[in-house]
Formats: sequence, C-alpha cells, structure tokens
Amino acid sequence: MTATKFVGESPTRIDGLDKITGAANYVDDLSFGPNLLHAEVVESPYAHALIKSIDTSAAEKVPGVVRVVTGREFPHRFGLYMRDRFIFPTDRVRFVGEQVAAVVARDAKTAKRAAKLVKIVYEELEPVLDLAGALRDNPTLVHPDLGKYPRCPWFFPQAGTNIAHWRKTRKGDIAQGFKEADVILEDTYTVPRYAHCAIEPHVIVGLCDLAGRLTLWSASQSPFTQRHVFAQALAPLGLSHKDIRVVTPYVGGGFGGKAGVSMEIIGAALAMMVKGHPVKVRWSRAQEFYNTYQRQGVIARIKLGAKKDGTITAIEHTLHWDAGGYVEYGANVVNAVGFSATGPYRVPNVKIDSVCVYTNLPPGGPYRGFGYSEFHFGLESHITRIAKKIGMDPVEFRRKNAIREGDTLAYGAEMNASGLHEAIDKVAAEIGWGRKEVSKDPNRVIGKGFACFWKSPAMPPNAASSAFIKFNEDGSLNICASGMEIGQGYFTVMAQIAAEILTVPVSKIRMEAPDTDRNAYEWQTVGSHVTWGCGNAVKAAALDVRSKMFEVVERALGLSRDTLYVEDEKVKCRARADFELPFRDFVISGIQTEHGNFIGGPILGSGVFMPEFTSAVSDPETSQGGHPNVHYTVGAAAAIVELDKQTGRMRVLKAVLAVDAGKAIHPELVKGQIVGGMLQGLATVLYEDIRYSLKGKLLNANFTDYKIPTSMDLPGEIVPIIVEVPQPDGPFGARGVAEHTMIPAAAIIANAVDDAVGLRLKSLPITAEKVALELQGIAYDDVKGAYMGLCFAGHLDKYDFHTKAAKK
Amino acid sequence: MAIAHDFEYLKPGTLREAVRTLARYGPRARVLAGGTDLITLIGEAMAAPDAVVDIKGISGLDRIEFKNGALSIGALVTFSDLRDSPIIAKKFPVIREMTGWLASPGIRNRATMVGNLCSAVPCCDSGPILMVYDAVIQVAGPAGKRKVPLSDWFVGPRKTVLKRGEVATGVVVLLPKKKHAACFVKLRRYEGEDLAQASVTVLALAGNSYRVSFGSVAPWPVRAHKIEALLEGQQLSDSLIRKAAQLVPEEITPITDIRATKEYRMHMCCVMLNRGLKAATARLAGAGPEYGTSLI
Repeated sequence: MTATKFVGESPTRIDGLDKITGAANYVDDLSFGPNLLHAEVVESPYAHALIKSIDTSAAEKVPGVVRVVTGREFPHRFGLYMRDRFIFPTDRVRFVGEQVAAVVARDAKTAKRAAKLVKIVYEELEPVLDLAGALRDNPTLVHPDLGKYPRCPWFFPQAGTNIAHWRKTRKGDIAQGFKEADVILEDTYTVPRYAHCAIEPHVIVGLCDLAGRLTLWSASQSPFTQRHVFAQALAPLGLSHKDIRVVTPYVGGGFGGKAGVSMEIIGAALAMMVKGHPVKVRWSRAQEFYNTYQRQGVIARIKLGAKKDGTITAIEHTLHWDAGGYVEYGANVVNAVGFSATGPYRVPNVKIDSVCVYTNLPPGGPYRGFGYSEFHFGLESHITRIAKKIGMDPVEFRRKNAIREGDTLAYGAEMNASGLHEAIDKVAAEIGWGRKEVSKDPNRVIGKGFACFWKSPAMPPNAASSAFIKFNEDGSLNICASGMEIGQGYFTVMAQIAAEILTVPVSKIRMEAPDTDRNAYEWQTVGSHVTWGCGNAVKAAALDVRSKMFEVVERALGLSRDTLYVEDEKVKCRARADFELPFRDFVISGIQTEHGNFIGGPILGSGVFMPEFTSAVSDPETSQGGHPNVHYTVGAAAAIVELDKQTGRMRVLKAVLAVDAGKAIHPELVKGQIVGGMLQGLATVLYEDIRYSLKGKLLNANFTDYKIPTSMDLPGEIVPIIVEVPQPDGPFGARGVAEHTMIPAAAIIANAVDDAVGLRLKSLPITAEKVALELQGIAYDDVKGAYMGLCFAGHLDKYDFHTKAAKK
Repeated sequence: MAIAHDFEYLKPGTLREAVRTLARYGPRARVLAGGTDLITLIGEAMAAPDAVVDIKGISGLDRIEFKNGALSIGALVTFSDLRDSPIIAKKFPVIREMTGWLASPGIRNRATMVGNLCSAVPCCDSGPILMVYDAVIQVAGPAGKRKVPLSDWFVGPRKTVLKRGEVATGVVVLLPKKKHAACFVKLRRYEGEDLAQASVTVLALAGNSYRVSFGSVAPWPVRAHKIEALLEGQQLSDSLIRKAAQLVPEEITPITDIRATKEYRMHMCCVMLNRGLKAATARLAGAGPEYGTSLI
C-alpha cells in the first residue's frame, strides 16, 4: 500500500457541527405548515383473526377528521424480497398491533379520538405462537396464499405450510464427518426477539400534490429501496418511480430497523388519499417496538464433531426462526445465516438448515448483525464447550480451526483475505487469557470468556452503489451519494476517500443526506457495506473527476494527461516542474486560452460499483455453485466478568474486541463502532428481555420494562483493536466493521459465566436473575411465568426439531 | 404524545379551595403535584379524570422543615429537593440514599415524595423508607385535618385511605432519639433508572434494636415485625441473620411479574436483608459503606 494522506487519519466528523449545534434536521423537525394532517392507526388486538367487518362511519363524523382509510382502498401487498405484507389487511390480521385502518385528521388528538370509534368485528383464529406447532402436519396457516406471493428467486417458500423459506447448505459427507470425530457435542440454544430501540422512532410525512407527484420525507436507511417498494405497491394507482421522490434527512439511529419499508407504507398510502395535504405518520415508542421490525427469535440445534487433536470434522446446525407475521425482509436474515452458520472455521463436512417460520408475532426483519449474533451465541458457546470436552484450551482450539484465505466456504466459494489469527492472538494477549483472576469481594468470582466472529453483507448480487461529485467555485466539493449517515460516520469516510484521490481536504467537502431526485443511487445502508460498496463508487467518481480535470488541462494547455497529477488541490505536471494550476482557478469556469476563449466548464464526476462477481444462483438442496457473499469480515473478542454468586449480578470489568477492518479509513470511527457495538451486544445479553403474553401481546413495549443500558452500565473498560489485512477490492483495502462488533457479545458473556461459576446458560438473555436462580438450583424456565421471548414457551431441551413439516 | 382525553384543569390558590374542589368532583378528580405518574396514566388512557387539581399554587407545601426532632416534608417537595437538602443529608442520610436510585434526575426534579405515597404502587421507594421511621401523613379534607400513620395508609395497590375531598399535604418523620443508622438496598435490573424489583430498608438503633421493611414484595410496602422481634436485643451474627432470613417468607408475599419471579424476589430479599443488616450495623458503629454505595 502506498502512503495515504487522508485515509487512515481521523478528521473531525463532517456532520459534527450540525449535530452539536442542533442544526441537524430530522423528519419530525421539518415544518410543513398549517395544512399538515396527522394520522392515527387502528390496531388489531388479536394475534390472529379474520376481519369480518369494518365500520368507519362514526369516526368519519368527528369534526376535524379528513379521511378514514382501510384495506378497501388499499388491498395491495408489498414487500422487499417477498410481497407478503399488507398496507392494510383486508381479510386477516397476523399480529397484535397490526394496522387495520387509519384516521387522518387535522390534529393528532382528533385522529386519536376518532380512531377509537372505528368499529372492527373480528373472528378470532387459533394463533400460531409455538414454533414446533407451526411446523406440525396440517398446522394453522399464517399465510394460506403463500404459494401465490411474488418473491425473489433465491427464496424457497413451501406452499401449504408455515415455512416461508428454507436455506439448505450441504458440503462434504456429514455422516463420514461425525464418524471421524472423537467427540461429538449436541445441544440446543435459544435467542429471543429483540427491538432496535433507535432514539428516533419511525416517522414519515407524505405529500401527493395536485399534479400527482408523491414526495415522502422519511426516517430511513434506504431511500432508493423505499422508493422502489412504494412504486411497486402503488403501481395500481398509476404511480411509477419517476413520480415518487424520497427525501431522507438525518436519521436518529437505524440498526437495521429503518432498512426496509414497514410503517412507511402507511404514510405513502395515506398521502394518496388526501392529495394536496401533507400527512404525517409518527410512531409512538410502543409502536416502534411492535409494528416495525424486530430481531427474529431462533431455536438452534448444534451437533459438532471434533478429533482429539482439536480438528473440527463436521457440523450440523439446524435453526428454526420465529420470523413473525410477515417475512418480506426477515427471510433474508434466515437466508444469510444458512450460508454462514459454520462460523469462521474450517469445517469439511457441513449440514445447515435455516428455516424461516411464519408465526403470529410482529414481523421480524433486519437488525444489526443480520442473524449472525443469534447463531454465534450457540456456536461460540458450543466451540468453548467442545474444546473443554477434549481437554483443549478454547482459544487454542479456535486458533487451530480458524479459517484462512483460500479455504473453501460452506457453499463452495473461497474465503477472502482474513486477519482472524492475528485478531485471536491480540485479543488473547490483551485479555490475559489463561491468567485466573480473583475478586476482592468474597461474594464474587471472576471469569473470562472468548469468542470469534465473522459476518458478510447479505446483499442481492446486483446491489449497486453510485456517486456524483461536483466542484464548487472555491475548489470545494459536494459528494452526492445516497448512503445514510446513521451515526456511523459515513459522510466523513466518503469525504476521506474523495480527499485521498483529489487532495481536497475533508474540511472542504460537503455531503448531505439524500434525495432520490438529486443524488446518485444507493441500494441500502445496511450490511456494513457502505464503506466498501459506496466507498468504491465514491472512489470511482473521484477518479472520474480527476481524469476530467486532466482532460481539460490537456485540451486547454496542451500538457499530456499522462504527465499530470494532483497535489495540494492543484494539477501538476511531471514533465514541467514549474506548472501548477489550483483547482479553484478552473473547475467551474474553465481555462482561458491565449485566444481569450475558455475550455472546460464545471467539473462533475460519477462513479458506480456493483459486485459483479457475486451470484445467488445455486443448487437449492446444497447451496453449492453460487457466490452469494462478497466477503467476510472477521474478528475475535473476550470479556472479563465479575459475578456475585448470591445476587447473580454481573459486571463486565473489561471487554476486548479485534476486528479486521482491511484498512481503517477513520480509525477513531472504527473504534467508535467497536465500543458502540460491544455495548449494544452486551445490552442484548444482560438486560434486554422481551416479553410476550402467551396470546402474542408484547408486554414491555417501553423502556420501563425493556431495559437498554445507560452510561452507568458501561463496562469498566472496552479495548478496541484494529487489524488490517487489506480487502483487495475495497477502497484502500477497507471492508465493513459496523455490525460485527456486537456479534460476539452473547458468547463471551456466556463463556465467562461458565468460566466463573461452571454454569452453562443456553438461552438469552443472561440476566442476574437467571444466573442467581440457576445457582440456587432453580431452573429459570420452571418459574419464569406465563411469558415468552419468542414463539416457544417451553423448556428448550424439550423443543422438537423433527417436527413434521421441517423434516429433511 | 397527544393526550386524547379532555379534562378540566384547576389550580386552586389555597388548601381550602383545593379541598372544596376535590370534594365537589369526588373520584372524578385527581390531584396533580409533579405529575410524573398521573400524566403518564392519562396519556395511556389508564386514568380519565374529569378534573385535574393542580396543588402547585398552594403556598407552604414546598418546604422541608426540621423542628424539635420532627422532619416535615411538604406535598410539593420533590426528590431532587430532598437530595439537595443539607438537613436530609445530615439527619436522614438513608432518605438521600434512596433518592439516588429513584428514577432519573429529570423525573426527580418533578416527582414528589408525597405523590409517591399517594400513587401507592407496590414498588414505591418512599414507602419502605418512611415505614421504618413510623412516618405519619398529614391529610386535609372537608372534615378538617387528620394524621394517618403510614402503617395504616395503604389499602391496596394504588389505593390509600384518602377519602372524598381529601388531599395529602405532607409527611412527618420523627428522628429516633437513640443513636441510629440505616440502609436502603434496592434490587434493580441495571444501574439506570428502574423500579424496584424488591427492596429492603434497615434501621439499626443503639442497643441492638432493628426496624426492617420490604418494598415490591407485597401489595404495599411492609414492615417485618417478626424479624424485628427476633433481632430485638440480640447481637448481630451470621447465625442470627440466617434465622432472620428464614422468617422472610412469613413477612412478604412476592409475585411473579414482568420484572422478576417470586423466587428471585424471595431469594434476593434474604440476600439484601443479610447485607442491609450488616451495613446498617456497621454504619451505626461509624464504619460500613458510605451512604449511596450499592450493596448488591
């Protein structure tokens, strides 16, 4: 790698001043004048019911009510990868809280009052709230019409069942693999559902003007994908992409929750019904929990075989996902895990079944980590356990099996460049692996836990990024791309990439949140891919700008473009040492020739990136033959946990995480991702504890009883470590690091608790209560009460994986 | 959040007027002080009063006074007021200890201690603390003023002995005459703002006398008289604490709900009693953890 000037530095974030001064606008900050209308939705009280009738007459009579909208006006389905979700369901509701109607009124209070007057008669159906039950013969069906839904070609829904998708990956000879094993360990793990808990709830304002132009101001991670989904859903009303504009100002946190289209469809639909008036749909905190997306729950069975020397011989990993009432995005989470549930190890014989099951809980969907946090909990617990079973140090076991560049992945493609071994070694050194620590408090003991992780972006093979770059008179730049600044520092990193190519300092580069009319296309800001994908597009655009500058200089001044280069915001020439032309002297107005005319004009560049080497076409029975993933980012993490044996309370004294960033374009932001991701991960292990009633109602859709940690719950110390083994096709060698940093959290805590007190917990969360009761000899499952964290209320050891519909 | 419910907002300037108004509306009126409970309830349609009677216009209710060994806390005194009060810090440090784990600074700036008692939720932190001091609530009503011992105050979750037209105007706490120290132990799901999963308050008096109360483990905060009787006059020891812990199931009736199982609550009440007794005793001897130090 040649030396870089801007890449690898940590300049001030270019969105910093906006945010610190309060200048940054979010959707709810925008002013729409006195004609703004407000919407309130009428929600299903049942997890599963038929809608027999809807009477909106009383609501319509309330003064101030403009319109009441139901599925009568919008009988259309929508969805990203499968069109299974309803704008307003017409015949059947599938989760508690699903929107059945909406009242649009002149003020929010009137809308709320009138919504109470909408009379809906339901016929309750048996809800599908038990994963095993959902997979039995002749189950109650959540989607009787499943076979008719349009879907992307790499999903395999099974009509007449509740299986929305089943990703099967087969490699080697699984029976032979277990035959070769000296030790086989088999067990079940569960991970409940989780909520994203972004600070900013979902909100959308829609305006269809009298000429039929639909503009949406949306808190979104994916303005172009939203536009595409809106265009598909509203096509029956005569709308097409050119008629729809999505404007996305700053976003107050996404974590995947704003990646697709969930409640936003309501804003788009309502705007069509009240033409000429903007209408706002703003979710309450409770709705944020139950009617957007949730992280899906999963029950996973792992069978792992290893030789006495520690070599892994085979893995059989079966995952049943509680995907909720609609899976238009969530099924892709299931799909991604189906390719990667070996973890970052060399495994010669693989059998993965990742099964997406419809249930009558709220829709599952993307959440930071995209399924990887979920399966890593079981897998990395299992790795430590099998290492101990054969009498090997768990870190040594991981070192021995850790995947290397060129190894064959479960689906047959080759592993990319990887610094996994370096990450393992650095984390082990930093955590003092092997050194037993003793608490000063006699009630407390200290344990250490270790885990590896990997993750790939889960993108369709044609997910593209693009960017425009344009100069201003003073030689400053605007980058017009459509990734979202969701707190991760995307703007600054894109500016650094452009700065590196064009030598314009980051402080002279402006980047704004996108508008689909004006900015270049971006698929989505998800999958930790924008540094890599959009970074490549910005780099290409910067190179385009540079070559256009050279072309102008060549045409105007006769200097061969091959001799030109840029330095300190000037074009210089290797053939003429005395030549230098500041950008600001020509990038808008061109270069004046001896004849008095001007050559050139405003310099604009564009760049495009699409991972042309990927393919989703593979054998559905084995997943062999395709190249679904662009690359994996790998790393390792560890924790030191102090545990009070009487109270069960745990304190993370130290956490360490090393991630292979390929090249850290902005090291401080990478460290920020590591610390932030670790905290979010620890939250899901120690505190967040979603509770559904046995009838499918979410009971803690609030921060009173759904706990995310505060500044007072920080670990004693989090040590971020950056490993840099370059990604050859990444901008300056970079690959994504954002989601990855929360993936190992559950396993490092579970392994540390086991190390401290010999207690192996196989279901999340690992709360103080659970630990204390188990240490008292009380099985938490026996006493937890009539609650469930996913569609399974029983004992995890009693979960039946060989239920009828899901038999191999 | 838009509050869809309509109500009349009344702000009397005197206690008399407040009582008159409350008597007129009866159960259709609710008293507003800090509003941290009431406004949430109205917002979530769990309360729908016709009238909200704001007592913040009544003078004299916002005082903390300490005279002749009696501490008076007016109905408008917030938890932040208590936390910042030098007299509380000096004479009743355990009250200050409790306020540190109560809600968050923003809520503490609004919420009042008397309001906490009037809400009468099983997890109200003021209840168990004031119970060990045998606090008395001052009530004004159509029939004049009366005093209600805290032990008679609660009649059910969210229910008190207040009658039509009555309003609590303050609470009085007597400083024990003997040398004493106390300890409040609160079980929370994390270090941030949380409602008590369970709590134990211990007041240790010179001469091996103890007063003990529990929160969040019965329909209302409870005094542990059997445990107190067992400990009376005895030198604290591990075996005595074990015996005291054996009485815990006779003192409390925890339930399983979304915040904890009854098994964990029961177990933790024993653990917290153990640690609370030791800490209060150590504090009495001039040692022990500083007030505000979490024991769990």
